[in-house]
This record gives sequence, C-alpha cells and structure tokens, in this order.
Amino acid sequence: MTLFGSLGDGYVRRALLEVVLLGVLCGAVGVQVVLRRLAFLTTALTHATFPGVVLASLLGIGLVLGAGLFGVLVVAVVAMLTGTRGAGRGRETSSVTAVVLAGGFALGLALMSTRDGFSRDLTAFLVGSVLTVSPSDIVATAVTTVCVLGLLAGLRKELLLGAFDPGALAAAGYPVRALDLVLLLMIEATVVTSLPAVGTIMAVALIVGPAATARLWCSGAGTMTAVAMVIGVLSGVVGLAVSEQWNVAAGGAIVLTVAAFFTVSLVARSLPRGESAMRPAAQEKSVGRPTYS
Amino acid sequence: MTDLLIEPFGAPYMARALVEGLILGALCGAVGVYVLVRRLAFLADAITHTVFPGVVIGFLVSGQSGIVPGALVCAVLAAGLFTLVTSTDRVSDDATLAVLLTSFFALGVVLVSRQRSYTADLTAFLFGHILTIDRSDILVTAAVAVLAVLVLLALGRPLLAGAFDREWARAAGYRITLLDLVGNMLIALVVVAAVQAVGTVLVIAMLVVPAATARLVSDRLPVIVAVAMGLGLLGAWWGLAASYSASIDHGVRLSAGATIVLVLVAGYALALLGRVAHRALARPATATR
Amino acid sequence: MPPPVHDAAIVFTHASVAYDRFPAVEQVNGTVRPGEIVALVGPNGAGKSSLIKAVLGLVPVVAGSIVVLGRPPAQARRQVAYVPQADTLDPNFPISVAQVVLMGRYRRIGWLRPPGRADRAAAAAALAAVGLEHRARDRFGLLSGGQRQRVLLARAIASEPAVLVLDEPFNGVDVVSQEALLGAVRELTARGAAVIISTHDLTLAQSACDRVCLLNRRQFAFGPPADVLTPPLLRQAYGGAALELADHGLILAR
Repeated sequence: MTLFGSLGDGYVRRALLEVVLLGVLCGAVGVQVVLRRLAFLTTALTHATFPGVVLASLLGIGLVLGAGLFGVLVVAVVAMLTGTRGAGRGRETSSVTAVVLAGGFALGLALMSTRDGFSRDLTAFLVGSVLTVSPSDIVATAVTTVCVLGLLAGLRKELLLGAFDPGALAAAGYPVRALDLVLLLMIEATVVTSLPAVGTIMAVALIVGPAATARLWCSGAGTMTAVAMVIGVLSGVVGLAVSEQWNVAAGGAIVLTVAAFFTVSLVARSLPRGESAMRPAAQEKSVGRPTYS
Repeated sequence: MTDLLIEPFGAPYMARALVEGLILGALCGAVGVYVLVRRLAFLADAITHTVFPGVVIGFLVSGQSGIVPGALVCAVLAAGLFTLVTSTDRVSDDATLAVLLTSFFALGVVLVSRQRSYTADLTAFLFGHILTIDRSDILVTAAVAVLAVLVLLALGRPLLAGAFDREWARAAGYRITLLDLVGNMLIALVVVAAVQAVGTVLVIAMLVVPAATARLVSDRLPVIVAVAMGLGLLGAWWGLAASYSASIDHGVRLSAGATIVLVLVAGYALALLGRVAHRALARPATATR
Repeated sequence: MPPPVHDAAIVFTHASVAYDRFPAVEQVNGTVRPGEIVALVGPNGAGKSSLIKAVLGLVPVVAGSIVVLGRPPAQARRQVAYVPQADTLDPNFPISVAQVVLMGRYRRIGWLRPPGRADRAAAAAALAAVGLEHRARDRFGLLSGGQRQRVLLARAIASEPAVLVLDEPFNGVDVVSQEALLGAVRELTARGAAVIISTHDLTLAQSACDRVCLLNRRQFAFGPPADVLTPPLLRQAYGGAALELADHGLILAR
C-alpha cells in the first residue's frame, strides 16, 4: 500500500501519529457525547469555534490558540443559556444550540469576507488537512489527549452517574454545574485539537462516529470506551491509507471510514436475531430525559 | 434611515437579492416553526450539509444546471435515510444525524478534492451567491415556496398532531413514519431551494433563528408562525441593507448572507434579553407572596 | 463513627416551596421521625414532587423552613438517598445492574478513587435486599419496570441513608415488585431511617405508611392515615369533582 511505501516521508509519519492520537482522544470523549446525546451541541461547538480561527488569523496569533480561546467563550455562552436545569419554555436547548451554531459560523464567515480572498490555512480549517500538521500541532494533540484522558479516568464515576441519572447526581449533592462545565471544556478541547486534521465541519464525525458504533456492540460504558478508541484509531489509519492510495482529501477519507464502520455495525445489529429479540420492555422510546441536544 | 433601508435596492442585482431573501424569509419562517416544534434543528443543519455532494456531482455531470437536481437527490436520500434509521430505534437520533451529516459532507469533500478549484467550490457552497442570483433561481425558490405552503395547508394539522404527541397521532390512525417523511422532505426541499443561492449557513439560520425568536415572544402557535415569518422578512431586508451600506459607504466588505444571519441572531439576543428582564421584574412579585 | 441520632429526621415549619418561580406548595408543617414512613398524598400538580425536591435541596424554600437531620437540606444530602421514577431513565443506557447499585456508594468513595471491596460488598447486599442479586450482571434496560425501580431502591440502600426519599415508586409496578420494594423499605426503617414516599395510591398510603401528609398546593392534614384519609379531608384536598375518590377513601378509612 502507498501508505507504507511513503512512511519514509516525515509528513506522512506525522499525519499517522496525529490520527492515532486523535482516534484515542475522540473515541474516549465521544462516549460521553453519545451517552449524553450531545452530538448537536458538539456540532455547534465546532461551528461556533470557527470565528476564533478567523480572528486569530486576522490578528496573526496561532490559529489553534485563537480557536481554543474563542471556544472557551462559546462554552460559557452555551452553559449560561442552557444551564443545568435544562431549558425553560421557549429556550429548548435544541434551538439555542442551533442559534449558537448559525450565529458563530456566520460571524466567522462575515469576518472572513472582510478580507481579500481566502487564505489557504482558513480553508484548511474548514475541511482539515492532516498531511500538513506541524510538530507543534502534534504536541498540542498529545498534551490534550493526556489531560483529557486523565480527567475522564479520574472523574469516571461522577461522569457515569451524571450521564445515566442527572437527577441523582444533583440529589447526591455533587457540583453539577461545575461537572457539566468540565465536560463541555473537555469536548471543546477535543474539537479544537482535531480542527487542524479534519476541520470544523467534520471534526464531529471523529468524535461521535466511533462512540456511536461502539454503542451498538457494547453493553457497558467501560468496554464502549475501549472499543470507541480502537475504532477511532482504525478509522484514522485506514482513512489515511485510502487518501494516500487514491490521492483524495485525507479528512474526507477518514470521515467516510468512520461512516463505513457505523453503517456496517448498524446493519449487522439491525438484522433479526441478536439482542433486540430479548428486549421486552426496553423497546419504547426513552422519555423525559434532559439532554442538551 | 429610509435612505439606508430603501436606496440600496435601486440596483437590479440588489432588488433580485431582496426578492429572493424575502421569499426565503417568509418560507423559512413558516417551515422553521415546524422544525422548532419537532426539535429538528439538527436535522435541518444536517440536510444543509448533506446536499454538498449532490451539488458537486450535479455540477460535474451537467454544469450549473445540474446543481439543483443533484442537491435534490441528495437531500431526499438523506431525509429518507434518516427517517428509516431513526424508525428502527437502535441508536439515538442525534448520533445518527451527526454521522450522516459528516459522512455526506465528507463525500462531497473527497469528490471536490479531486478537482482543481477546491477552495472556490467550497466557499461558494458555504456562502452562496445571493448578490449574483438570476431570475431562474428566484423562480425555483418561488415554486418551492408555493409547494411548501400547499403542503403546510393540506397537512398542517396532522403534522402538528404528530409533533405534539406521536403516540396519540399513531393511535388516531395517522401513519407517523409517513408524516415524518413528509415533514423531513419539506425541510429538504426548502434547503435545496435555498442552499445554492444563499449558502448553507444562511439556510440553517433562516430556518431556526426566526422561529426560536418567535417562540421567546409568544406561546401561541399562530402568533409564533406570524412573528417568525415577519422576522424572516425583516432579517433579509435589513441584513442586505446593512451589508450594502458596510461595503459601499464604509468600505468594509461584509458577506450578504452572513450579515443576514447576524441580524437574525441579534434579534434573538434582544428577545432573550427582553425575556430575562421580564423575568427579573416578575420574580419579586411572586417571591413575596 | 455512627451518625448522630436525631429525634426528628425532617422538620417542616410553615414551609413554602417555589418551583420555576411559581409557588408550588405552601404552609407545610410537620415532623418526620426516624424509623417511620410518611406518605405524601395529593392529586396531580399538588406539589408533591416540588416538596420532595425541596427536601433534596434542589428547589428553594421561599418561606418558613425545612430542616433535614438538623441542617439545611442542601447540606444534608450525603445522608439522604433519592429514588427517582425508573421510567425517567434511558433504558438503552449501556450499564449493568451492579454498576447502577454501586453508584449509591460514589459519595462515600469520594472523588478520583475507584470503588473498593467493601463498596462492592455493600452494593451486593443492597441488591440482595430487593431480591435481584441474580440479575447483577444484566443490563439495566433489560429489566422490567418494577425491577428497575427495585434496582434504584437498592442503589439508595447502598448509600446507607438516614433519610430515604421515593418519588412515585409504585407507578406501573407489578405486585411482586411492590412487595419487594415495601419489604426493603421496612428493613431500612427498622434500622432507623426516615422515609418519605410520594404516591397516588391511597390504599397503599393507608396500609404501608405510618403517617400521611395530604397536599394540594397547601397542606390539608398531617397525621396517622386513619385521621387524614377521611372523606371530608379528601374531598377538600381533591375538590368536589372527586367525590368518588372520597367515597373510596371512606371505605379505606374503616
């Protein structure tokens, strides 16, 4: 395969390292996103971070730094608007999220349009370009991965309880708002670090896809996390290989690999026989569960 | 003030943009309320992204005239797939949508990346080109608007019933999956009509923001629909005017589509502030009881 | 060190509770003593859930006071266990029964530390107390509604609470599970825990509870079932339209 043939090139090695790290990071965070149904919020975070990238480019500071700082701002706005009590009347989190998404993205595009033409790196931030990640990007990804995995492991009891039964988390006297905020910041950090590789629009695939696939196969949150990380890494490597082989956009190829894993799993698990036959009462839609989406 | 809001539209291209914007504002306002009550904001967002490969393939096959058919095929396919997958209940809707959204978009990116003008195509898709719109684009939008109004008039009640209480609607003999499909197709149609003219961002914003703002203002559905349509119209009008004035009078180039969105979002922020103020004023009255 | 012994687990003094800035229930007076089961009874929208949330410190007390174990509700949470309605939880969540019960120990374990052997033993004992030890390894969503409710009670028992709060635990629960639930609750009260149960089921309030608090936006009565579940009081609380219900109560009261 072309991928292995070109491993001698520094940029391919860097890209491979980056996608492996991202696979682990996104897989682990994605489990929290999927279990709490935060996929839409994550999508909004990716889009709303975009103005940060543009601003950073205008001001001449690091793009990832700009995205990160702006991301914290976005997280604050979202946390303030939605709150832990969920949405009051007229503030369904879904529409708040959509407004944040559209507003943020439009702000980014408006800022972009004030410049003459579009610089190459800004487009790269829209769709990603894993083959041009710099060593500093990889260091950032590695640091984020270590920090986020550490937090996930340290808070795994509380995060599990919060995802399963938020009411009980509050009733037990945990600082619910602070925990939600930490989780949002972890998601945002993941989004920002995956931007250089897969871009604003597709980053959410790498976060949600592997975890959603793992959920189809696993009946425990622990195994689900492990499987999601494996699928994340595999998708990255296979996508990169496909991209090298047929010379297509790497970000797109990685996302399509994720989608392929998901689709195959969905079809395989939807076939008759298997678990669904022995789920008597669990068939009805879950009701009244507070979500961010 | 009048000069600022009327004068820019003397130029024919601005007049065409205004007509397109006004039709879309009203159309999206109405359909947006359905998106809001069924909490389909994410679906609307997803469809705006999923039409991308359709746009690319359509363009590759038969140039400019292939874009709308290509987008339509993709949107219908995505809406159908989504309805199918969620009716099986194996995964939560939002995760499915996220994967669907990104994978379709990725397909578009992969296809485009084989072409030369990668960047130009992508930005056109995101921004649209409302300022260079022509008569036939407006006709397509108007036709979709008429169709959407007819569907809403004919199926408004069942769609609402299905949105409010799915179990009841099912028990009352409505075919929920079919209703969902019709509703999702309606959204897809609006997206297709609008996306190549005004870009993805503007479509999702026009679908969601006016309806969300209207919901902050009122609890009654007819009022919400009316306010949402009104806000859509105002947003298109003032956004275009602001973008024009910024570019011509102040020398700051502001994308017309993005400016419309920012006007709409500003309206939402105002409504939110108004509501918070209202609550703050109302609170002492109840607490002292 | 054993927890300090209080002669009153919960004291309501002219307590008014607001939910989403509207007053939900007003003028609640009474004491819940250790070792007794108190039923909160009233029609839908009477403020039962709000009062429960106030005991948990999740909803503000706007007038009067609620004192739990000698402290404000929000500071007593570590010794209060809450059993939500099982059907508010996602049945597809990938989690095993044993894991759910173990959650009851989380506050005792503390931050960052993994559950130890003693915690697992306590969780297993709690699961056995509700009679579901054989389902420990099953996924939570595979259980029936009544069994899920029992698992949530086991989770509360595992936290060794001084006060137990149950929100409508018998809704849609089969007879076997109802008996198992009541048996486990009585075991807790025998060890000195105070229990509050909100319920629609007047028969159950009559037969299983030591005292009853009758609510509808305000407190109508608080006392032994025979004194509270009387036709005049029920008619008052449920309104004139619920005469049949009051007649039902009449039969019960004998």
